[in-house]
This record gives sequence, structure tokens and C-alpha cells, in this order.
Amino acid sequence: MGRHYLKAAILWILLTAIGEFLALRIPLFPTAAAEEARIIDSSFILLMILGIPVFTFVLAVLIYTLSTFRSREEAPEDGPPVHGRPAVALLWITITAGLAIYVIFNPGLKGLAELRANQRADLVVRVEGSRWFWKVTYPEYGITAREIVLPVHRRVRFEVTSVDVVHSFWVPAFRVKIDAVPGIVTRVFVTPTQTGTFQEDYHFRLQCAELCGLGHSMMTAPVTVLEQGEFDAWVGKAKP
Amino acid sequence: MQTVRVHVPYDHTHTRRIGLWLFFISEGFLFLALISSRYYLFGLSRPEELNQALGLLITTILLLSSLTAYRAETSILHGDQGMFLRNTLATILLGSLFLVGVALEWAEAFRFFPPHTRFGTIFFTLTGMHGFHVLSGVVLLVFLYFHGRRGRFGVTNTWPVEGVIKYWHFVDVVWVFIYPTLYLVSS
Amino acid sequence: MAFAPILRGLVWGALGFLLGGGGAVLVRLLLGLPAFQPEPLITIGYFPGLLGWLLGVGAWDVWAREWFGLPVRREAVYDWRRYFRFTTDHKVIGVQYLVTFVVLFLLAGFFAMLMRIELMAPGPTIMSAGLYNHIMSMHGIIMIAVAVAAIIGGLGNFAVPLLIGAEDMAFPRINALSYWLIPPVAVLLVSTFFAGGFDSGWTAYPPLSEVNAPGQVLFNLAVITFGFSSILGALNFLATILRLRAPGMTWRRLPIFVWSIFAASFISLTATQFLAAGLLMILLDREAGMTFFNAARGGAPLLYQHIFWFYSHPAVYIMILPAFGLALEILPHFSRKPLYAYPWLVAGFFGIVFLSFIVWAHHLFTSGMPDYLHGPFMATTELISIPTGLVFLSALGTIWMGRLRLKTPMLFALGFLFNFLIGGVTGIFNADVPTDLHLQDTYFVVGHFHFTIMGGMIFALFAGIYYWFPKITGRMYNETLGKLHFWWMFLTFNTTFIPMFWLGLFGMNRRIFDYPPALGSVNRFISISAFLLGSSFVVFVSNMVLSWARGPQAAANPWQARTLEWQVPSPPPVHNFPAPPQVVGHPYDYGFTNSVHALVGVSGGSGEQGVDTDG
Ligand code: HEA
Ligand code: HEA
Ligand code: CUA
Ligand SMILES: [Cu+2]
Repeated sequence: MGRHYLKAAILWILLTAIGEFLALRIPLFPTAAAEEARIIDSSFILLMILGIPVFTFVLAVLIYTLSTFRSREEAPEDGPPVHGRPAVALLWITITAGLAIYVIFNPGLKGLAELRANQRADLVVRVEGSRWFWKVTYPEYGITAREIVLPVHRRVRFEVTSVDVVHSFWVPAFRVKIDAVPGIVTRVFVTPTQTGTFQEDYHFRLQCAELCGLGHSMMTAPVTVLEQGEFDAWVGKAKP
Repeated sequence: MQTVRVHVPYDHTHTRRIGLWLFFISEGFLFLALISSRYYLFGLSRPEELNQALGLLITTILLLSSLTAYRAETSILHGDQGMFLRNTLATILLGSLFLVGVALEWAEAFRFFPPHTRFGTIFFTLTGMHGFHVLSGVVLLVFLYFHGRRGRFGVTNTWPVEGVIKYWHFVDVVWVFIYPTLYLVSS
Repeated sequence: MAFAPILRGLVWGALGFLLGGGGAVLVRLLLGLPAFQPEPLITIGYFPGLLGWLLGVGAWDVWAREWFGLPVRREAVYDWRRYFRFTTDHKVIGVQYLVTFVVLFLLAGFFAMLMRIELMAPGPTIMSAGLYNHIMSMHGIIMIAVAVAAIIGGLGNFAVPLLIGAEDMAFPRINALSYWLIPPVAVLLVSTFFAGGFDSGWTAYPPLSEVNAPGQVLFNLAVITFGFSSILGALNFLATILRLRAPGMTWRRLPIFVWSIFAASFISLTATQFLAAGLLMILLDREAGMTFFNAARGGAPLLYQHIFWFYSHPAVYIMILPAFGLALEILPHFSRKPLYAYPWLVAGFFGIVFLSFIVWAHHLFTSGMPDYLHGPFMATTELISIPTGLVFLSALGTIWMGRLRLKTPMLFALGFLFNFLIGGVTGIFNADVPTDLHLQDTYFVVGHFHFTIMGGMIFALFAGIYYWFPKITGRMYNETLGKLHFWWMFLTFNTTFIPMFWLGLFGMNRRIFDYPPALGSVNRFISISAFLLGSSFVVFVSNMVLSWARGPQAAANPWQARTLEWQVPSPPPVHNFPAPPQVVGHPYDYGFTNSVHALVGVSGGSGEQGVDTDG
């Protein structure tokens, strides 16, 4: 009896070790080119670390049970008559509740607080979706473009809206997403930490992420992150 | 075609009553959806052009009809056919009067806030959905009336009466929520 | 004529449609409006048409005649033709539901195959972007309908009255009505192909759903009808379980599948109205020029998302609660052990029901709703894993130290546990706002919900089909083919959907027919797996068809199970039990000597009397 618990526990620990090792080894994320991407990726990793033992616990019990507690075809019999003790259920509830509540605070609320800590922006970029293209304007410079060009290490506020149906602003390399909703302006902050272009890395793209009809999959725009100097040069060229 | 009589043993009044209440709960959620949309879109503001007198009038009419409906139900429980028929007829009339009131309301609303304006959208949807329920209630009452005239209901067969009248009360209660939502709330 | 009622339904339906539509044209002419506008015409004609169909197919004969003081007419049909009738026998209705929804499942799966062909390689492959969007939306909505109704409508109808020792459902005619509302749903959805399709996904977000092709109107009407059917079904189950339990079937002895249907029905009964309301508002916007969601005239597109998810989040628990119930119903019988922590499990079900109503906005984390809502909705969503965890406690506690018999139903129930675990844990990643900002509307979410619905609900459905197949048909399915189906489906399911998590993280969003070329090889792998997955259903279908036609006669109780449905012959007689069974013990008390669940067919008397539950 106790032997079974011990063996299953060892199996669990083994599986957990393998799982955690793999999770931390396998490259899980594409280019992370913004401060926000770092926060979001570390939330993801924390959830992985916590989720794997939950997964392997169930897996270990399943594997162990399936390999040990088979009925013999020749002499079918019934198992032990146990209904379960309340103490076990209470313990289980406590552990799962503890996990859930921990996850709510960390990475949930903590990550959210980090993402929202700073409402200041060095640069404002307006993005307007319409079927099926993006219009990008830089009110400070009076520039209108079909692409997003940003200076590295500067905090940008995107002000997103739409003129027809709901679209969604998503740059995989920045990890952030916000819908473009007709009638309202939504905001999202991004601080690029790494230069890059769409030509080199397709994660530097503005992708519409809300179904908007025929051209939805093609509703993309290139994103470029430049050094400050290069950015100023771009502004000079693009200014009307 | 061969016809057989099958005894349906479960349609007892008690079970039917539970079914009816479940139906009310469900319908309540439909109105909850529409009413909460009103608050989502407008908060507590309301246009000035609403005809308050007419609103109050039709509310009174509908509440009165609940009274006659109640009397119709109790009279059938006591086996008083005449009372039952008179009160059912009165309920039908009051219900129809209410519908006429809504029609007048609509005619006015078309001038001030037609369906393609923000408030018109909510106003026509709420009164329309409720009016549809009143209309179906009236139809059911008419059925009740004609079956009643043939003497189909008595102390032993009251379920159809009880069911329809309960439905009528339900439609009334819904209006008790819709009326302040459209006419009374204000910031 | 076997199909006479159906033909009559079609004729009456057409008449109703013409009457309604014609009336609308007349009214419009009188009002001086342009007479022929297809969309309002279809909508207004549809409801009388639906009524005509229902009356024609049988509601007139067995029901409505009563309202006019005429005697009702019922046909006594006991051969295969009863499956094409407005019958009130819950067992027949269960089979009608089951077969209909398995066919719809195969159809929607066929659409998935078309999608996967398109996604084999970047760029257009076999279809246009417009057709892809339509096929994808059809796949989504039909599968959702399957997920909502296949277990409840099919297996629930068949098994619940048997499990509680009743003769039929509380309202047999409403039961028939809720089934016969389904064919119009299927017909409307398929006819969107002739109305320009609809390209707004199964979620139908406005303003897109207000500016696209008229197919959208058919979609809305179909889904409203479907919602009506599930509300009536839920009402019926609640009344049945409240009122028709056999003597001695106390709440503490209720089989767990019945509990799960009871819990899910609460959600169906109430939340479904929000779906109907939302879709109705879209129709009003489109056709009556109203402005609920039209931002240009002051409407609020986000309002729809709140209304929609107030239904559609709870809906995922309408899908999964009966699946939990089914898996947990099967585990004790095939582990030969009592169901572990039974009262806690029931409490967990109701915990899920309660929480399901207050988490809907986790679908709106990136929608632009106010920031202060993010924290609370994240918290309530994460809390759902606590009652759901109780399901796992119960399942693991039941199989631990059991005497497992690995028959096909048991394999599917265990596969359910594994798949749903992956689906549930990935749900946590979606529920967390920071991670969801990246994951929302990507293939990570697609992976999540296929693991919960396909891996969870559909696996449980198959467990239930195999489990009750002998009871339903009176014949035994082929065990070897059953096991082959399980392993084939289980392995290819996982190879199809696990890579989707990776795709989502690496920047592939949903509902696109073209994607960055760098993702081509993973997509090709997924597509090939999906084709293998699709082919596993050939094994399933042939097993079902062959066994139903020629399988060996099934015993009354092939699984040596204790619950009531196994105590009557296979298939059960028309009135189920010779006399109301007397329930005296818990349904899952395996291993206790001399413990009995129920005494069936001991007392005399005729089943016609029914169960007196008035006491
Ligand atoms: C049967 C269907 C089903 C089920 C049961 C679930 C269950 C859950 N879902 Fe899922 N979901 C869908 C179907 C389902 N979902 C669908 C169809 C969509 C997409 C809709 C669309 O946009 O088209 C979706 C989308 C979706 C989103 C939105 C994603 C987005 O668009 O951004 C979110 C976000 O919170 C979410 C979360 C969850 C959570 C937290 C659960 C939880 O209930 C899971 C709980 C279970 C477990 C956690 C595992 C078991 C528990 C334990 C072993 C105990 C210990 C564990 C812990 C303490 C963590 N789901
Ligand atoms: C019950 C729920 C359910 C089930 C079981 C499935 C099953 C499958 N789904 Fe589905 N899926 C959804 C519900 C479901 N899906 C939903 C709700 C969406 C979202 C839609 C939206 O965004 O609006 C979605 C979206 C969705 C997408 C994303 C589309 C996009 O965003 O662009 C993909 C992509 O691969 C996919 C694939 C599959 C595959 C390969 C299967 C396979 O498991 C299918 C298995 C194959 C079969 C069952 C076919 C077998 C039969 C034959 C081969 C013979 C044919 C016979 C006849 C025609 C009679 N699904
Ligand atoms: Cu714009 Cu999708
Ligand atoms: Cu949800």
C-alpha cells in the first residue's frame, strides 16, 4: 500500500524533473524586442514552471495506475471499497486554491502592474485600421506611413482605432496586442529594446489579429526598430 | 392512420408548474440582456421627449389587468364560471388597450427618436419585445376564453387557466422593470 | 410512407414562409416602403415557416389539436420509421439527436480537412480567402453546436430517464420539439453556401457581421433556433431530474452523469438567452436600421462582445460538465471501485456553474475594455481551476488501486483526462492577462480549445457512445476496432494539436488562410496529422454501422455495472421499467459485499401508472 504511494511519488518527481528541464531548454519564444516582451515571457515561464508539476502529477498517477492496477481477465474482482476521506479532499482543495491564488498575484497582477507602471511616453504613434490596411501617423512629425518605424529604447504610446470593423494591433516581437475598435481609441505602450526589421525577422510585423473579412490575413505592415540616429534620418526623409 | 391513446403519466400539475417557473427564469434572462444593454449604452441619462403621461397610463392599465387576471384565476378555483369569463374578457380588453397605448407611444417615438437613433434603438427593442409577449398573452387569453365558454375548466381542470394567468403576471412583472428603465431613471 | 411527416413539415413550412413573407411585403407596400428587401423578408418569413415545419412534422397531431378542442392523434410506430417521426419516447429522441450530431460532426470535420489542405502551405492552395473564412466559420459553429448538444441531447436523453428510474422525460412533447428544431438549424447553416456565406467566425462580432453577405442572416436565425432548442431541452432535464426520480433515488444516490446534466442545464436555461438577444440585436441593426453596435451612429461594438461571452463562456461549461459526468460515470464501473469523493465532486460542479457566470470578460482582455476590469476577471477565471481540480481528484481517486478493465469506453475516459488536463492548464496561460496579451487570437488559443473540446468533450462523447452502444442497439460493437479507433485517434489528435501551441507563440494568428512562410513546415506536419486523425473516423463509422447491423446480441448488462439502465433488457422496452424501481443504495458501491443499488421489477403493477413522485 505505502509502497504504491512511494513509487508513484518517485515517478512524479522524475517526470517533473524531465518536464522542467525540457521547458527551460527548448526555445519557446521568438525574438523579444521590447521591454513588455520580457515581462510577458517571464510570466509565461513562471506559469510553465508551476504548471508542469500539476501536469506530471496527473500523468504520474495515470501511468502508475495503468501499469499496476489492471484487472485480471481470468478472475475479475472488485477494488477496495473506499469513498474517500474529507481530509484528502480538503488538502487537495487547499493546494489547488493556493496555486491558483499564487498565480493570480504572480505573475498575474504583478505582471499587469509592471506593464502599466509607466504611463509616460516619449513618442506617440497613431494607428488606424481599415479594411484591409493600416495607416500609421506620427502627429509630432506630421508623417503618415504604411509602416511602423521606431527608435530603440524610447517608450512609445500607440493610439489605435478603426474606421470600419474591429481589427487588432499585434506585433509578435513586442508580444502586445490591442483591438482597434471603431468609435473608441485604445492604447498600448511599447519600449523597443532591440533593433530589427521585417525583412530579417517576420516577427517584426504589425499583424491584424481580429477577423475582419476577406483581407484579414494580409492585413500586415512592416515594423522597423532603428537606432536613434537612423530614426531621425528616417523622420527627415519621411517628413512631407 | 392508426390512432392510439397513450397515457402520459408525468404531465402532473406540479411538474408543469416547475416547468413554467423555469421558463420564466429563462425569459427573465432575455429581458436582463436587453435591459442591461440600455444601461451599458446610456448609463442613467434619458431624453426629455418621452411622453410621461402616456407611459404612466399604460403602466396603470397593465397593472389593473393583473388584478382582473387574478380574479379570473380565483373564480375558476371556486368554480364560478361567470366570474371567470367576465374577468378573462376584462383582462383581454385591458391587455389590448395596453397594446394600443404602445402603438400610440411608437407613433410619437417615431418623431422624436426613430429606431435608427441611439435611444430609439433601445426604446423600440424593449417595448417591442415586451409588446410581443403581451400579444402572445392576449392570444392565450382568447383561447382560454373560448374554452371557458364551452365549460372546459372547472375545479378539477384548472391548469390551463393557472398557466396562462401566471404567464400574464410574469409579463406584467417584466414591465415593472422596463418602465423605470425607460421612463424614470435619471442622473 | 416513411417520410410522410417530414414531407408535410416541409410543405407546411414553405406555406408558413410564404404567408409570413407575403404579409411582410403587403405591410411594406401599405407603408409605402420598398417592397422587396431580401433580408427582412427572409427573417420575417422564417418564424412562421419554422412554426409550419414543426406543426407539419407532427406537433399538430400530437399537440396543437388539443388547443382547439380536438383529440390528439398518435401513431403507433415501433420499427425504424419511428426515427423519422415526432415521437415522444426519450430513447428514440436520444438516438435521433445522437445520429444527427455525429453526422454534423463528420461534416464539420470534413470542413476542417478542407481548411488543413488550404493551410498545408503558405499562400493560396485550394480556395480563396473568402471561401476559407466561410468554411472556417462553418466548422466553428457546427462543432460548437455538436459540443453543446451531442452529449446532452443524445446521451442525456437516452440515459437520464433510465438512470433515475423514470419512464420518460417530464415533458415528452417538448422533448420532441427540441429535437425537431435541429433540422432547420442544419438546413439554414448549409444554405449559407447559396447566400454569399458568412465570414465572421462562430463569434459573429459586429460591425463585421453587420456589413457582410446575407449568409450572416441565415447564421443568426440558425443559432437563435438552436438556442431555443437548448433552452427547451434544459428546462426539460431540470424538471425531469427534480420531479421524476424513482422512489429512493435521493440526491446523494444520483448517478454522477445525471448531476452533470442537471448542472449544465442551469447554464443552458439562463445564459442562452443572452446569445439569442445578441444575435437578435445584430439582425435589428442590419434590417431595421437600429444602432446597437454601429459606432458611426453611437452604438458600441464592445457591448456585443460582453453579451456574446456572457453566454459563450458559460457555454463551454455546458459542453464540458456533461463530459465530466460521462467520464466519471464510466470510471467507477471499469475500475470496480466507488466514485471517489462524490459529494465534493458534486459541489465542484456547482462551483463551476456559479463561477462560469462571472468570468466572461477573459475573452476581452485585448478588446479595449476598461483596464480596471482586467484584474477581477483574471482572478475569477483562475479560481475556476479549483472546482475543476475536484474532478481530477475524483477521477484519480477512483482509478487508484482499482481493478481496471481497459475496454474501449474506459480508454476514451482516460484519454479524456489526459487531453483535458492539457486543455485546462493551457487555459491558465490564456487567463493570465500578461500572457494573454500575446496569446489572444493566436493558434495557442486554437490549441487550448481543441484540447478542451475535441480532446475533452468529444473523447467523452465517444466514451459514452461505446459505453451505451449495447444498451441503445441491443448489439455489441467490435472491441478490437474500438481499441484501434481509440489509439489511432488519441495519438493523431495529440500530434495535430500540440504543435499549435508553438505556432501561436511564434506569431501565427487565428482565422488566416495565409501565413508567414517560415511557419510552413510545422503547418504541413499539422495538416498531415489532421488527415490521419480524420481517417480514424472511418474505423469508428464502420464499427458502428457493421455492429448495429450484424453485431452479436448484447447481454442486458455486459459491463456488470450497477446503475439502473443496465438492469433492464438491451434495448430497453418502451416503458423502460416493468414497475417503478426501488432505489436502496449508492450506484457505485463496488467492493462492498451485499450492497445493492436498486430493486427492479419486483413489485407488480403496470408501467402506465408512472412514478408517483408527489409524496
Ligand atoms: C469545453 C470547452 C472549454 C473549457 C472547459 C475551457 C476551460 C477554460 N478556459 Fe477556455 N476556451 C474555450 C473552450 C473551453 N475552455 C474556447 C472554445 C475558447 C475560444 C473561443 C474563441 O475565441 O473562439 C476558449 C478561450 C479561452 C480564453 C480566451 C483566450 C483568448 O481569446 O484570449 C481564456 C482566457 O482566460 C480561457 C481560459 C480557460 C480556463 C481558465 C479554463 C478552465 O476551466 C480550465 C480549468 C482546468 C484546469 C486548470 C485543469 C485541471 C485542474 C487541476 C488538475 C487542478 C490544479 C490546477 C491548478 C490550480 C492550475 N479560454
Ligand atoms: C467540437 C469542437 C471542435 C472539433 C471536434 C474540432 C475539430 C477539428 N478542428 Fe476545429 N475549431 C473549432 C471547434 C472544433 N474543431 C472551433 C470552435 C473553431 C473556431 C472557429 C472560429 O474561429 O470561429 C475551430 C477552428 C479550427 C482551426 C483554426 C482555423 C482558423 O483559425 O483559421 C483549425 C485549424 O487547423 C481547426 C482544425 C480542426 C481539426 C483538424 C479538427 C479535427 O479534429 C477534425 C477531425 C476530422 C473529422 C471528424 C472528419 C472525419 C470525416 C471524414 C474525413 C469523412 C467526411 C465525411 C463526410 C462529409 C460525411 N479548427
Ligand atoms: Cu483587420 Cu483582421
Ligand atoms: Cu471563456
